[in-house]
Amino acid sequence: MQKDKLKIGIYELTGCAGDALLILDCEEELVNIFKAANIESFLMAKSDNLDGELDVAFVEGSVTSEKERQEILDIRQRSRIVVAIGICSCFGGIQAAFLEEKDWEENFKKVYETKDLIYIQPLQSKPIDEYIKVDYYLPGCPIGKEQFLSTFSRILAGNSPELYRFPVCVECKWNENDCLLNKDILCLGPLTRAGCNSVCINHKLPCVGCWGPSEEGNRTSEFSLLLEKGFDPQLIKQKMANFSGTRISEFLATLKGVKK
Amino acid sequence: MKKIAIEHLARVEGNGGVTATIDGRLVTDVKFFVNEGPRLVERLVLGKTPEEDVNLVPRICAICSVSHRYAAIRSLENALGVEVPPKVTLLRELMHLGEMIESHSLHVYFLALPDYLGFPSAVAMASKYGFETKIALEMKQFGNLIMETVSGRFIHGENPVIGGFGKYPSREELVWIKNRAIQFMPFVLKTAKLFAELNYPDCPEAETIFACLNPDQDRFGFVGDEILLSTGERINIKDYRDLTNEFHVSHSTCKRSLYKGKPYSVGALARINNLGERLEGEVKRLYKKYFNSRWKKNPLYNNAAQGLEILYSFERIPQVIDELLKLPDPALVKYTKKEGKGVGAVEAPRGTLFHSYEVSGGRIAFADIITPTAQNAEDIEKYCYLAAQKLLEEGQEDKIKERMDLVVRSFDPCISCSAHMAQVRRAGEENWKEKLARLRKSESLIFVGLGNQNHGDDGAGRELALKLREQGVKDVWLEEEIEDSFGEKNSRRRLIFIDAVCFGESPGKIVLLPLQYIFWNSVLSHRLSPFLSGQLNYHQLKNSFVLGIQPESIEEGKGISRSVSQALQKILNEIKN
Repeated sequence: MQKDKLKIGIYELTGCAGDALLILDCEEELVNIFKAANIESFLMAKSDNLDGELDVAFVEGSVTSEKERQEILDIRQRSRIVVAIGICSCFGGIQAAFLEEKDWEENFKKVYETKDLIYIQPLQSKPIDEYIKVDYYLPGCPIGKEQFLSTFSRILAGNSPELYRFPVCVECKWNENDCLLNKDILCLGPLTRAGCNSVCINHKLPCVGCWGPSEEGNRTSEFSLLLEKGFDPQLIKQKMANFSGTRISEFLATLKGVKK
Repeated sequence: MKKIAIEHLARVEGNGGVTATIDGRLVTDVKFFVNEGPRLVERLVLGKTPEEDVNLVPRICAICSVSHRYAAIRSLENALGVEVPPKVTLLRELMHLGEMIESHSLHVYFLALPDYLGFPSAVAMASKYGFETKIALEMKQFGNLIMETVSGRFIHGENPVIGGFGKYPSREELVWIKNRAIQFMPFVLKTAKLFAELNYPDCPEAETIFACLNPDQDRFGFVGDEILLSTGERINIKDYRDLTNEFHVSHSTCKRSLYKGKPYSVGALARINNLGERLEGEVKRLYKKYFNSRWKKNPLYNNAAQGLEILYSFERIPQVIDELLKLPDPALVKYTKKEGKGVGAVEAPRGTLFHSYEVSGGRIAFADIITPTAQNAEDIEKYCYLAAQKLLEEGQEDKIKERMDLVVRSFDPCISCSAHMAQVRRAGEENWKEKLARLRKSESLIFVGLGNQNHGDDGAGRELALKLREQGVKDVWLEEEIEDSFGEKNSRRRLIFIDAVCFGESPGKIVLLPLQYIFWNSVLSHRLSPFLSGQLNYHQLKNSFVLGIQPESIEEGKGISRSVSQALQKILNEIKN
C-alpha cells in the first residue's frame, strides 16, 4: 500500500447495487482504478475490507433502517469527501414512493405483516443528505460510466467534479433525435438530469426520468404542455414521481398556476 | 456459548450475512439474514401503468435487471393478451443469454474463484493470473455488451418493452456478436472444464429438491411456462404459489419459500440437474464427462453448473443470431386490453424468478414477485448448518466461518433482490435459561413432555411435564395429548418440547435447540422427527424449541439417573419462577 494514494471506500445502502455493479462493469478501467487509489472498502468486489479514515466515500443506496442511518453517520465521520452515487442515495430512489409516514407504515405492514418483527428497525426511505452533508451528487439509475470515471479522476487529481446540470433534452439534441413530445408521447426528457446520453430516446422510447429531477427543468411549462396534449394530470405527476424520490414534493410545489 | 458471525458477506451482490451459534459440541442455530432495507416494490407499483411497472421493477436488482424486466414483460403480456412475433422472442433470448454470461462470469471468476485459489479478491488474484483474469473480464464485458446492444444499457436498459423493442439492433451488430461469441469458444471451453474440475469440499452434502422452469420442446433453456421439479412433479407457472408459498422470518427482510414443507434449491445447479440430459453440442460432451451424483447434493457444484451454462450460452448465441438475421424487424405489438391477470417466469442467473400481476382499468392492481434468493434462503441455512455441524464434529471449528461463506456464495445470492467479510466474534452468552425467559416474556408457551418412562432417562420429558402440572403450571401437555389439544386457537403458538436428547455432552447438560435442527441433524437421529412432521404445521416446526437434556442411560427398565434428575429440578425451578 502506497501512502500517497487516496483512500477510497465504496458503500452500498438500500438499492439494487447497480451503481457498485457499474463500477465493476468499468472492466478495463477497473484495474487502473484499483491501482490509482487505495480501495479500502468495496464489499461487492473484495473481502479484505477496512473501515478506517477515508479521503473519499462513494455511497450508493438510500437509508431505510436505523442500522443504515448509523452506518452513514459513521462513514461521514471518517471521510473527507462523501459522494452520493445513484438516485437512491441522491434522492431516496423508487423506494421513497411513500412520502407520508402513515402511508409508508401501512404499506410496510402489508408486506411484512408487522413492523416490529424486523430487527433492523426500518425507516422510511430517505436520501443520505437527510442525515449527513454530501459533497457531490452523481445521479443516475444506474450512474453512467463516463460520469463516474470523470468524477473519480477529477477527485483523485484534487479537483471538484463537473456534473451536468442541464436536462436530457440537451443530449437528445446532440444525438439529433426527433422530439417525442412533438409526436404527442409523454417524454420526461425536459425535466430529467442529463448524463445517460438520452439512451431511451435514441431507442425511440420516451424518457422515464430515471436520472432524477434536473434543477433547471421547467416543470410548469412541461406540465401545461402535457395537459394541453390531453394527458391525465394524475398520470403525469405519477410519472414525474417514479424516479424523483423525496424530491417530488419540491418538484410538485413548483407547479404553480397550472390548472389541474 | 459462541457465535460465529459473518455480518457482511463479501463478494455477493447486496447486503446480508450468516451467523452460527455454537454451544459445546452442538451448532444450535444458523441464520442467513438479509439486511437489505425494505423497499416495498410490490406495493409501490400499485396504481402504475403496465409500462411504468416495466420501468420500475428491474430496479429491484441490478445484476438481474434483464431477468426482472423479462419476467415482468412476460407476465404483463400474458395478462393483456399480447402475442409477440418470433423475432421478439429470439431477441429477448439473446439479451437473456448476455445476462447469463455476464452474471455467471462475474460470479465464477471474480466472486467464487478467489476462494478456491486463496485470494481475498479478484484484483489480488489478477496479480498471479493476469492473463486468465483479463480474458475472464473480457468475457463478462461481452455479456454486458450483448445486454447493451439489445436492451440499451448494461444495467436497467429500457429498450425491451411490452409488445417488443423500441429499436432493433442492426445486422452488423448482430453479426459482430455472433463472430465474437465464436472467437471466445476456446476460453469458454477452458472455463467450463476449470469449474467442473475444481476440488469442491465434500461438506456439506445432503439431498434437496431442485426446481427450474421447463422450456418448450424438451430443450435446455431459461424460460418456460411450467415448473419442473427433481421429484418429477410439474407445476404450471399460473400455480407458482404451490411451489413458493412465501412466508417471512423475523431475522431477515428477505421472504422465504418451502415446497410441501421442505426447502428447495433453484439456480444453475437445479437447471443442470433437471435439464442436463437435454444439452447438445460441446456442453453435452462436458456434461456427460463431469456430471455425477455429488452434483445432486453438494451446493458448491453450482459453480460447475454455471461453467456449463456459460458454455451453453456461447453455443446458443450463433444459433439465435442466425435465426434473427432471417427475420424482418417487427413493429411494436399494440394492445387494447385494460383488464387481466398473468404470471410470467424466467430463469434469472441465480434461479427461477416469478412475476405475477393483475391489471385493472389499465393500472396495476396486484403485484407479486418471487425472487430466486428468497426461494434458496432455507436451503442456504440448511447447508450452512450441515457444514458447521460437520466441521465442529471433526474438530475443525476454525474452518466454519470460511466454509459457511463459501456455501452462501455458491448460491450466488443476489441479496438486493429482496450482501459482504467479517470477523468471528464471541457473542454475549445466552444460555437456555435466558433464552427461555426471553421466549416466555414475549408469548405464552406450550410445554410438551415426550419420552418413555420405562427407558431410564428417556422418561425425563414426561416426568418433568407431570411435575409441572402438579405445580399448577398451565399449558403442559403430554405426548399422547397433542392431537386432542391442538385446534385452531393453538395452531400459531410456540411449543417447547422437553425430552432426553443425545448430543454427546456430559449427562444432565441442558440445551434449548430450535426444533427444526433436529430434522437436519444426522447426529440427533430422533424419533421426534417422523412423529412431529405429521402433527405440526410449518409455523410450529420453524418456531418451536426442544429443551433437551443429555441422558446418562436410556436402558429399558431403569429409572431416571441422578444427573438428569438434577437437571429436571433446575428446569422446574426456572419455569416455576
